[in-house]
Amino acid sequence: MQDVIRQAVTAVSTVVLGKEEQIRLAVSCLLARGHLLIEDLPGMGKTTLAHALARVFSLDYRRVQFTSDMLPADILGVSIFNPQTREFEPKDGPVFTQLLLADEINRATPKTQGALLEAMEERQVTLDGVTRALPEPFFVLATQNPVTQAGTFPLPESQLDRFLMRLSLGYPSAEMELKLLSGSDRRSQAVNLAPVVSREQLMAAQQAVDDIRASRDLIDYIQRLLAHSRSAGIFVAGLSPRAGLGLLRAARAWALTGGRDYVIPEDVQVVLGPVVEHRLQALSGGAVATATQKLLEAVPVVRRQ
Amino acid sequence: MARVYQVPQHAFIWLMTGAVMASLPHFLTGPAWLPLFVITTQVWRILVQRGRLRMPAKITRAVVLVGAVAGTLYTYGTLLGPEAGIVLLVCTFNLKLLEMFKLRDAYVAIVLCYFVIATALLSRQDLLISLYVFAVLGVITAALIGINQPEANIRARQQLKYSLVLVLQAMPLMIFLFFVVPRVPPLWDLPIQKKGAKTGMSDSMAPGEVSSLSRSAALAFRVDFKGEPPPPEERYWRGLTYSWFDGTRWSQAVPNDLPQAEYMAYPGERNRDWYREVQRQQVGKKYNYQIILEPTRRRWLFALVTPFTEQRGIAFARDSRLINADPVRDVLAYRVESFTEMPRGENIPDWEKAFNLRLPEEGNGRTRSLAQRWRTEAGSDEAFIRKALSWFREEEFYYSLEPPLLTGQQIDDFLFRTRTGFCEHYASSFAFMLRSVGIPARIVAGYQGGELNPLGTHLLVRQYDAHAWVEAWLPGKGWQEFDPTAMVAPERVRLGLAAALEAQNDESFATFNDLVGISGLPLLKDFMSALDYAEFQWLKLVVDYDTDAQKGVLQKLLGDVSPMRIALLIGAGLGVVAAAMGLLLFWQSRSVPLNWWEKEYWALYKGLQKKGIPVSDDLGPLALARLATAHSATSQPAAKAWLRLYNDAAYRTAYQDKTTSGVALSSEDRRNRLKLRKFRKEMLRLI
Amino acid sequence: MPILDTPRAWYKRWLRRRIPPSQSVTLNQRRIFILPTGYGLLFLAVAAALFIGGINYENNLLLTFSFFLASLFNVAIWHTFRNLSGVTLQAGGMREGFAGSAGALEVRLVSHVRHGHTGLWLQWPGSVEREVSVKAKEQQAVWLDVDLPKRGKVFAERLRVETRFPLGLLRAWSSVDLDHWCLAWPRPIESVECPAGGGDDDEGEHSRSEGNEDFDGIRPYVPGDSLRSIHWKSLAREQGLNTKLFSDPSEGRRWLDWDRLQGLDPENKLSRLCWWLLELDRSNNPYGLRLPDTEIPPAIGPEHKQQMLRVLALYGES
Repeated sequence: MQDVIRQAVTAVSTVVLGKEEQIRLAVSCLLARGHLLIEDLPGMGKTTLAHALARVFSLDYRRVQFTSDMLPADILGVSIFNPQTREFEPKDGPVFTQLLLADEINRATPKTQGALLEAMEERQVTLDGVTRALPEPFFVLATQNPVTQAGTFPLPESQLDRFLMRLSLGYPSAEMELKLLSGSDRRSQAVNLAPVVSREQLMAAQQAVDDIRASRDLIDYIQRLLAHSRSAGIFVAGLSPRAGLGLLRAARAWALTGGRDYVIPEDVQVVLGPVVEHRLQALSGGAVATATQKLLEAVPVVRRQ
Repeated sequence: MARVYQVPQHAFIWLMTGAVMASLPHFLTGPAWLPLFVITTQVWRILVQRGRLRMPAKITRAVVLVGAVAGTLYTYGTLLGPEAGIVLLVCTFNLKLLEMFKLRDAYVAIVLCYFVIATALLSRQDLLISLYVFAVLGVITAALIGINQPEANIRARQQLKYSLVLVLQAMPLMIFLFFVVPRVPPLWDLPIQKKGAKTGMSDSMAPGEVSSLSRSAALAFRVDFKGEPPPPEERYWRGLTYSWFDGTRWSQAVPNDLPQAEYMAYPGERNRDWYREVQRQQVGKKYNYQIILEPTRRRWLFALVTPFTEQRGIAFARDSRLINADPVRDVLAYRVESFTEMPRGENIPDWEKAFNLRLPEEGNGRTRSLAQRWRTEAGSDEAFIRKALSWFREEEFYYSLEPPLLTGQQIDDFLFRTRTGFCEHYASSFAFMLRSVGIPARIVAGYQGGELNPLGTHLLVRQYDAHAWVEAWLPGKGWQEFDPTAMVAPERVRLGLAAALEAQNDESFATFNDLVGISGLPLLKDFMSALDYAEFQWLKLVVDYDTDAQKGVLQKLLGDVSPMRIALLIGAGLGVVAAAMGLLLFWQSRSVPLNWWEKEYWALYKGLQKKGIPVSDDLGPLALARLATAHSATSQPAAKAWLRLYNDAAYRTAYQDKTTSGVALSSEDRRNRLKLRKFRKEMLRLI
Repeated sequence: MPILDTPRAWYKRWLRRRIPPSQSVTLNQRRIFILPTGYGLLFLAVAAALFIGGINYENNLLLTFSFFLASLFNVAIWHTFRNLSGVTLQAGGMREGFAGSAGALEVRLVSHVRHGHTGLWLQWPGSVEREVSVKAKEQQAVWLDVDLPKRGKVFAERLRVETRFPLGLLRAWSSVDLDHWCLAWPRPIESVECPAGGGDDDEGEHSRSEGNEDFDGIRPYVPGDSLRSIHWKSLAREQGLNTKLFSDPSEGRRWLDWDRLQGLDPENKLSRLCWWLLELDRSNNPYGLRLPDTEIPPAIGPEHKQQMLRVLALYGES
């Protein structure tokens, strides 16, 4: 199982260069049945990553470019009147897929965003009173431009909570950039990637995440992190219990990608940033990442007397 | 109107239970209307709590209070004094329950409740009431805890449990204070009357009076012997002597003009000639014992012949008795040393001789003439006495609890007609005979015998052991004891009243057994004697722990008793209690302890710190091990092994598998702990 | 430095040295004070009365009873102390409010020890007491109201923690500074002219324009919706009462602008901005904010409103 996952990470790495950790996090997110938000400027390889993941994990893949004139129906689908049968027939929107790349999600109006996010949360869509389950697995990889860009609707905090992780790919290193420039088109490479993980294997891996051991000591550590985030005046509001559960799930998945069947504190520390930063606001107005770092530093890994 | 304070339901249960329990002992001593008053107020209070009734209006409460005051005044004739005060206290306390509008009222009621139950100890101090008071304390304290716990969803049982913890924790200091706090003499005198004057000896005796006493099985006193008690036939507990005879009644008396110094000596006044003479003649077998006397409301004390005591407030009387300074209102314990022989008073003062020879001018002629005839025949006083006693033994005299009534010349009537009597009949007629021939004689009243408690060394002397016998003064021998009853019924002296009555085939025997309840179940009897033993120890050790006993305890503790040392002892005791409580507190306030692996983490952490490697506590075990390896590649195997073991212990086990504390380490755990320690040391050594 | 000092000020300074401000304070013997309550004194008086009674009647059991009461009092000292000892007070979250009204601060109580803490009363000076109990090794949170007299960070006074459990005979207390503050938004002051400019400059002129250009759909009517946005056509088609939904094109959004308010003191400016911010939020208009040192792009929604209010509240504060 771990071998397959490692191969998958390696495979994706051949197209998304020099982003090993982010790829492993993205895979962890997928394994933890969470949705992923990628925040980056356009052209940083977000789409490539999505393509590559879809290929390697043998998933159906759709891409939706969000715009401000988009309506919920454009994502969820509509019922169309069929003159032949004289009945309304549902026409599925792009959401009915296994991996949905929601590009520039913050360009859409809050209403459209909300429609997608609700579907993500409930893993089902209700159209004209008919509820239909989304495919299994279902994984949304949304990308977002930095909020400061003009013409965007920032995702409200309550919606952000529905993404398990938020990642930022960032600029490639100089060496990787060189490699990037000298190679062929990454996106077409991604399309040509060979599947590594079958759908069954993916489902099994998702199952395996739940069986990764989290000892009392570790849960205690997570609890202390949560408590401190709520009390110390670093953040406007502390981490929610949902965030705590997400943290544990992400840490389990990360442990699995590392080939372990139990979670260690370092797993929690690695996933803490991606899992919590988009859910928090630093109280002093500074960067959330700094505040998260402060949180990590303030909580001892092992209980003190 | 402000919201009325509602006692939390869980506290209310204890408050009411405590109130009922605290009032209950006062029902026995208080007036008959008190229970009615208490029950009414408490039922009212319960209905208020249930929401069926309102708290009474101010005017109603005032009327009830006035009623209680009037009732007290009616019963006692006064509002002053402890008895009336206690009744008023119980009434106001119960009224306070109906005046609970604020939290403050609840507090006051509970503090009053402590007071109410404390006053129950004024009238009784036995073991039973003490245990009862202890139980009430637990309940009242539970109520106090309850009103400090405003949450609604609390079980009342928890409060009782907590209250018992508090009460038990208060015990050690209480016991310590009991033993060492100096007993100060009373600041002022407050006599307290007690109800239910018991049967007992009186200061005069007429035929039929002692036998009526014998119908009671009530306890007179207990005796605790140091060493073996004397055999039954030597257990003559002298209480008082009757020297005055008016023809029917014998009374205690001294000449009117005699100064007290001539016949009584308190411990500080022992330099009197007559006392010194008595003291010089300490002859015979010595017995050392302590008597715990039930209240008699009389001053005389009981003891074996020639009793000596150094106890404060107890005088030695010239007729070899002990007399208390005040009437005995509470249980009194006194330690006595007795010498079995009477002091050989060579000389008897004239007044005493004259006093003990006095007889009415006339009456009982037959007896007088018979005695005088025997005296002339006998030739000596001793021979006369032998003759008289053998007459009692040989003639048809009977011993009975229910002797026929005597008429006319009582002694003649008894000696020559009825010939059936109790001890007082025999003692009275024998003393009369002695006096009529010029031998000074007196009657001694007290108890004879006593039953040995099978559990302890102590004797129980009951009212039915009451007895009367005779003492005669013989030149050169002094006062001598003679018991004519023993001639008639020897079983009385050796085996007790029941045996004597049975031997005499007296029909009153059955009635006596019923009354006294001797023929009980053996198991019950065992239980009763065990109870009695506990009671006896309680009275001896606690109730009568007085200045002298305290001196003894302090002497044992300190060697030399001085105020400075007592102060130091009290200080040390308080210090020990404070330290113990502090320790307990510290023990309970410890943080949840670390696991062995957590301790190991911190050991490595400190080890690395000592080596000068900067560490911070947000580094996990993995990071620490890496750090070590980074500083010295050679430590890598040890670091790897350490990390593996650490992860196995801390993170590989499932959440449910191990609890953090309170579980004994398995042998595997212990092995791993040792290994972990070894790898850590190796790792640190290599850096 | 004042030579003559009021005892109160002296006490405050002493307390500050003894229990320095911290966001997390564990109560221990250094930080807990204990004195008998009035009932405690009454209780001792009863003990003393019984002692005198015991002496006068030479009644050992009465004496023992008075010793018991004294002993119980002594035990109560330890238990009352223990009840407070070992609890950690932590500054928790806050609920902001407008200046002049009240906000709330969260205090978290964590028990690290083996015994619980029953009946703790928490109180800021002058505010309402709150009672809380913490079980052993558990935690509890309490929200306490705090008055907000001025805009900006309002630091809470020392928090008084008190307990009289178990017997009410003693009061153990501590006074801790949790270095805790609550944010006060500016007090909204109504003004006629909206200090805002949109993409089209003239938009700024009409103060309460609906300004909703793009018809976006309908949704069922919710009480409170403006009558002007009711979709009368659907009512005519007997589809019930519906409300029209509009989506604003980005050009129609407003910028609340500090510089548009001239000749007012800063607090007044903030108050007016605040009022308009609330007004625009209520009428579902996206809005942005321009302050001398900050700029927040226009958006709409509760989170956005919160963020804007926070920015106004913190304006000029470090």
